[in-house]
Amino acid sequence: MFYVSIFFQYAAQYLKTRLTYRADLVVEILSDLLFQAVNLIFILVVFGHTTTLHGWSREEIIFIYGFFLVPYAIFTAFFNIWDFNDRYIVKGEMDRVLTRPVHSLLQIVIERMELESLFGVITGMAIMFYAGSRLGLEIHWYDPLVLLIMVIGGALIYAGIFITLASISFWSDSKTDLMPMMYNIGNYGRYPVDIYNRLIRFTLTWILPFAFVGVYPSAFFLGRTDWYVYAFLTPVMGLLFLTIAVVLWNQGVKHYRGAGN
Amino acid sequence: MNVVEVEGLRKEFKSYSSRSGLAGAFRDLFTRNYQVLRAVNDISLHIKKGEMVGYIGENGAGKSTTIKMLTGILTPTAGRILVNGMNPHKEREKFVRTIGVVFGQRSQLWWDIAVQESFRLLKKVYKVSDDAYEAHMGEVIATLDIGPLLDKPVRKLSLGQRMRCELAAALIHNPPLLFLDEPTIGLDVLVKMKIREFLKEINRKYQTTILLTTHDLADIEALCERVVLLDEGKIIYDGRLDQLQKNWVEGKQIHFEFHHPVERHALIELSGGADVKWRQGERCNEWIAGIEGDEEAVSQLMSRVIQQHPISDVKVNQASTEEIIRNIYEEGLTHG
Ligand SMILES: Nc1ncnc2c1ncn2[C@@H]1O[C@H](COP(=O)(O)OP(=O)(O)OP(=O)(O)O)[C@@H](O)[C@H]1O
Ligand SMILES: [Mg+2]
Repeated sequence: MFYVSIFFQYAAQYLKTRLTYRADLVVEILSDLLFQAVNLIFILVVFGHTTTLHGWSREEIIFIYGFFLVPYAIFTAFFNIWDFNDRYIVKGEMDRVLTRPVHSLLQIVIERMELESLFGVITGMAIMFYAGSRLGLEIHWYDPLVLLIMVIGGALIYAGIFITLASISFWSDSKTDLMPMMYNIGNYGRYPVDIYNRLIRFTLTWILPFAFVGVYPSAFFLGRTDWYVYAFLTPVMGLLFLTIAVVLWNQGVKHYRGAGN
Repeated sequence: MNVVEVEGLRKEFKSYSSRSGLAGAFRDLFTRNYQVLRAVNDISLHIKKGEMVGYIGENGAGKSTTIKMLTGILTPTAGRILVNGMNPHKEREKFVRTIGVVFGQRSQLWWDIAVQESFRLLKKVYKVSDDAYEAHMGEVIATLDIGPLLDKPVRKLSLGQRMRCELAAALIHNPPLLFLDEPTIGLDVLVKMKIREFLKEINRKYQTTILLTTHDLADIEALCERVVLLDEGKIIYDGRLDQLQKNWVEGKQIHFEFHHPVERHALIELSGGADVKWRQGERCNEWIAGIEGDEEAVSQLMSRVIQQHPISDVKVNQASTEEIIRNIYEEGLTHG
């Protein structure tokens, strides 16, 4: 209960600050939209010549992209930890975080949230509806519930991977460029993994399970029954990766060395 | 019961050095060269409720590192810590509710939002009730004179304004124990005095225990009866400030400012039989004689020196705390 109330306090403060710089907010939302449009156009261009890719139609790929946008939006809204090493370790901001009576990871989540990224949820849903109706998909009563679970699972996978990467900074003070690379790898989960070779497929399923943030859960809505097992593993993988990440984080905090002044 | 109980506390930092070249980098993957630096070396410290303790030492002595362990930011390498009856890094979230922390070098407040918004968020974070907040903070804000600053964002405040707000922020939950790491760094005399008055006031009123590091010994003189002197991670003195002064203020200091450069050996020759220690001052051609003995010895030395070397200025004074401390750093405590 305490955490919920603290979350809303921070969120309210965040909105207040953001709304005083409305122009920035609009620019940011527009640039997100532009980015998403470019990605869509890319898919359309790829399919300019063929109608199917390994048995996946253009609309199916667009549907997967739409799904991906939803957990990804939630992830980017709450887990802005790509600059964790620089900001919190090298500059020693972690000192301040550790003197406050709220779990350190949660504090970073709430003080770095960027709620405008949630706009991606709307875009993603719109794209899914568009692609879904072109494919003639039916909506069942349980679909919203399954969607919610899949989305949360996907967001947790992203969060888990990036928290794990951030935790490494507690041990190693050297600068790594793993974070930007990971954002790139994340994009591969948006395409049906059977178009890749087995090694990449294995990696995207079990090691850096980005496939669970795109193609696997979408397979459920697209009615690809042979992938249902993977689809329903999404929340399991999410919880698993988040748990690993939080355990690592808690261990890491004990190794925090602070910044020499 | 003691508020702070520390036994054999130690913190080591490993610093890695990388080998050169590609082959070196490859070897670094498996075994890395490192050196161990003992920033805090087996210190023991006990602080009672209501004490104001000055924690002093040269740059790099390990003061901040100690404070970071006492506040639960850093995990000690070895030793036993009990602060407010808790082990700081084990029960961190519960523990930090019972302390207040200010790091002069670094802001604890949110950069972009108005000071009062920061206070409001902290009030929620520390679960302070409206009544308690009004009663306590109203006074803090008045004493520190920050009322007019409350609606400004932190980044628009001057250093002195910000420090006063930081101090207020650290007190929102009225903690019984306060850690201040260089709270007066870079502040002008008036702000320093205001902060000292304020700290005295809360110590008197709430029996707040305060551990304070500073490089301005006037802070210590104004606030602390007890000083703890740290040198290269070890406590070399822990006791009353006036005792430290008494042990050292046997002699007098004579500051000479000569017209011309003067050699050390020329001055030593002039000392005669008296026990005199010569040391170069900060100004050009300034020499300081530390002399053990009575007024007679002082005036004899002065007359001998002045006859030989023309001076532009001379003054006699008791060794200041600063000089005492400097002497201790230079020569160790054995003289005391
Ligand atoms: N994060 C760190 N990594 C490596 N060494 C560190 C780290 N923090 C501090 N040190 C080293 O530990 C020693 C003690 O540092 P500390 O900051 O505690 O000194 P201090 O007494 O607070 O000095 P100052 O008066 O300059 O603030 C220094 O030699 C410093 O270089
Ligand atoms: Mg320091």
